[in-house]
Amino acid sequence: MQPDTPDAPVTERSRADRARRAWGPVLLLAALLLLAAELAGGPPPAAAQEVDAEQQLAIERQLLCPQCVNERLDQCARAICEDMRAIIREQLAAGTPPDQIIFFFRARYGDRVLAQIPREGFNLLLFGWVAGSLALVALGGGLALRRMRRSARRHAGAGEA
Amino acid sequence: MNLAGALGASALVAALAATLFALGVSTWGVRRRHPGAIAAGRRALYATAALLTLAMGTLAAALLRDDFSLLYVTSVSSRDMETAFKWAALWSGQPGSLLLWTWLIALSLAGVARHLQRALPWARGHAQAVAGAVLAAFLGPLVFLASPFEVAAVTPPDGVGLNPLLVDRAMLIHPPMLLAGLTSTVAPFAIGAAALLAGHVDSSWVRAARPWALASFVVLATGNVLGGWWAYTVLGWGGYWAWDPVENSAILPLLPTIALLHGFAVQERRGMLRLWNLAMAAAAFSLAVFGTFNVRSGLVSSVHSFAQSEIGPYFLGLLAVVILGSVALLAWRSPRLSGPHDFESLLSRETGLIVNNYLLTAIALVILGGTLFPVASELIRGVRVTVSEPFYDQTVGPLLAALLLVAAGGVLLPWRRGAARSLRRRFAAPAVVLAGSAAVLWTAGVRDPFALGGIVCAATLASVTLREYWLGARGARRARGRGVASWPLAVAALFRRDPRRYGGYLVHLGAAVMAVAVVASTAYQQQVRVAIAPGESFEAGRYTLTYERLEGRPGTANGVESDAVATVTVREGGRLLGEMQPGRRFFTNFPDQPMGIVAVRSTWREDLYLFIQGWDEDLVAEFQAFVNPLVIWLWTGAGLLVAGGLLAFGWQRPPPRGAAAGAAGHA
Repeated sequence: MQPDTPDAPVTERSRADRARRAWGPVLLLAALLLLAAELAGGPPPAAAQEVDAEQQLAIERQLLCPQCVNERLDQCARAICEDMRAIIREQLAAGTPPDQIIFFFRARYGDRVLAQIPREGFNLLLFGWVAGSLALVALGGGLALRRMRRSARRHAGAGEA
Repeated sequence: MNLAGALGASALVAALAATLFALGVSTWGVRRRHPGAIAAGRRALYATAALLTLAMGTLAAALLRDDFSLLYVTSVSSRDMETAFKWAALWSGQPGSLLLWTWLIALSLAGVARHLQRALPWARGHAQAVAGAVLAAFLGPLVFLASPFEVAAVTPPDGVGLNPLLVDRAMLIHPPMLLAGLTSTVAPFAIGAAALLAGHVDSSWVRAARPWALASFVVLATGNVLGGWWAYTVLGWGGYWAWDPVENSAILPLLPTIALLHGFAVQERRGMLRLWNLAMAAAAFSLAVFGTFNVRSGLVSSVHSFAQSEIGPYFLGLLAVVILGSVALLAWRSPRLSGPHDFESLLSRETGLIVNNYLLTAIALVILGGTLFPVASELIRGVRVTVSEPFYDQTVGPLLAALLLVAAGGVLLPWRRGAARSLRRRFAAPAVVLAGSAAVLWTAGVRDPFALGGIVCAATLASVTLREYWLGARGARRARGRGVASWPLAVAALFRRDPRRYGGYLVHLGAAVMAVAVVASTAYQQQVRVAIAPGESFEAGRYTLTYERLEGRPGTANGVESDAVATVTVREGGRLLGEMQPGRRFFTNFPDQPMGIVAVRSTWREDLYLFIQGWDEDLVAEFQAFVNPLVIWLWTGAGLLVAGGLLAFGWQRPPPRGAAAGAAGHA
């Protein structure tokens, strides 16, 4: 038997071992609790006057700089982005709903300013590609596994005969 | 006559000649079975590497000596740049980075030629021929299309200097590391192609290629992590990975490389995946070539892209040749690729490893689709779209979580066949961990499915992995008698005895830690933006930040005209924690390209990340602050992953294990 064979007969396990073994899950549980407390404790409720700023950031995070590549509006330092942020601020103050603000920029600069690529028309091809890749890998992989299993059995059979 | 220009250019031409000679003489040597010719081919490859080293040295000397008679030096360097950045300038422009790329390929291939002399003598000639062809393909454009040694008609008094984006210490290590990683994929490719050409496709090429694939994994992973670190600390947008097209092309070759390392284990043990592994080696190299094409063609625009140039189409052609050549070679040898193999049961580790390969393939396909879709949209519809973070989070995120689970399952399953009873016992504890951690997180208020799924999968993998170390160490202690070896020593002994296995587990552990950090910092990032005057404060998470002052500092070197630096004091519950100094850096030669100076304060629980977006004449400044949970664990996990990869090298050839292979159980 290999020295590290993990599953020694149950009878060999001493109590001390069992007690030690219990430590793993306990530690893991403690770590998870700590982590959960960290994450879920999260942000304190924002003060009343900050709601607007948060709403504005939420809109900006859905838009991209029209001149850069893949640069979110809330991060970009270009003049055009400063103007866009100012427009969002004004529109929010005027009570325009966020959807309409985003629609405005989409109409103005085109689809490339949308962080989330719209799931419609030609873009569905991208999602089709994703679905197709997954289907291909799942089906092809399944078939390949079956074939390998069969041919192995055949070879084994031939070997025994 | 320009000495640097002449020396560098002739070194390149001579290197091209040497590599063509290596290609010719190795091919001839293989055909005529002439060992002398094959030895000459090997020496020609060494000579190519030496000549490219000379070219690199010449360019470095020109940069260090401010030799602006070379166009390249003028375009990326200036007199006031620190020596360190003059080194970084070596790979900061198109021709320089192509030279670095080719030099690294030459070093890899010279190493392969030397290694195969003993490791795979019957394929060394073929490998040299492949190496010669690959090197010629990269030296061609370096000599004819984008030479870094072009001499200027008039020597300017000073250079333009480094692009502001690149004026950072990370530039000294991140690009060369990444390029080394990308180029190292050529080694398994060349060895696989040689095995195919020679017609011996059993496991011997796998044994020869594995250390190269492992090196490739370690260097590529390090390069990608350094890239993330650079993005985090320099680009200043609060994150470390943006699914930028070029980031994608850097991570794409990593996926087949990981698949390859797992596939190799299956082929060595069970004789399966012969065709698949060769295809993965070819895929890794093809994706690396795709990456260079991507960066250089201007096809996919990105912060990393070099200007559009004529070598784009050349690399597209090269990519086509590599892919079609690999497919043709595989098709030609396919009759030899199906051989007897063992596959006793679907409930076995080999299944886990194969499913891991399939998942990695799916991930690579999705990333490739997302990277190329904007190009397709523009070509076909004339409409520019952006495929950015949300798409990848939604598609790749769940696949990566599944990959963690498959890794856990694969570790739990034994080779060959798992008996139902022992499987139930093995899977019981991890299933409890999975369900238990989900319950704990749910009760504690974690409701985001992305966060919940990711952390649960990572916790399962981490617990399974730690249990393997514990079981292994316990076995070692039992074998030696209690008290002889302490627990840490017993674990260390595991790495000594089976580095490949326990090193691999450490990589898994690192990946699990990284996954938790990624999930936490993505799903629980807090962002605050305020515009305040000096003396005013704002809250970000648990911190109170007070904007004290804004001051200008004249630049001293590296093309920096001035820095504007804000001083911000950080308090937590009234207790002063320290000062942060975010700012903005202005460059003399790039007035419209100021760079942010990011200030980060890291603790084990979270990063406070601060930058300044702008200010008006009254010094009312706009700050953005992020609280990014657990980011330090991302770098820690990456450290574990790289350490695991390095430890896995220590492996020595095992005693032949025939029927005994299964008896090792978890091995």
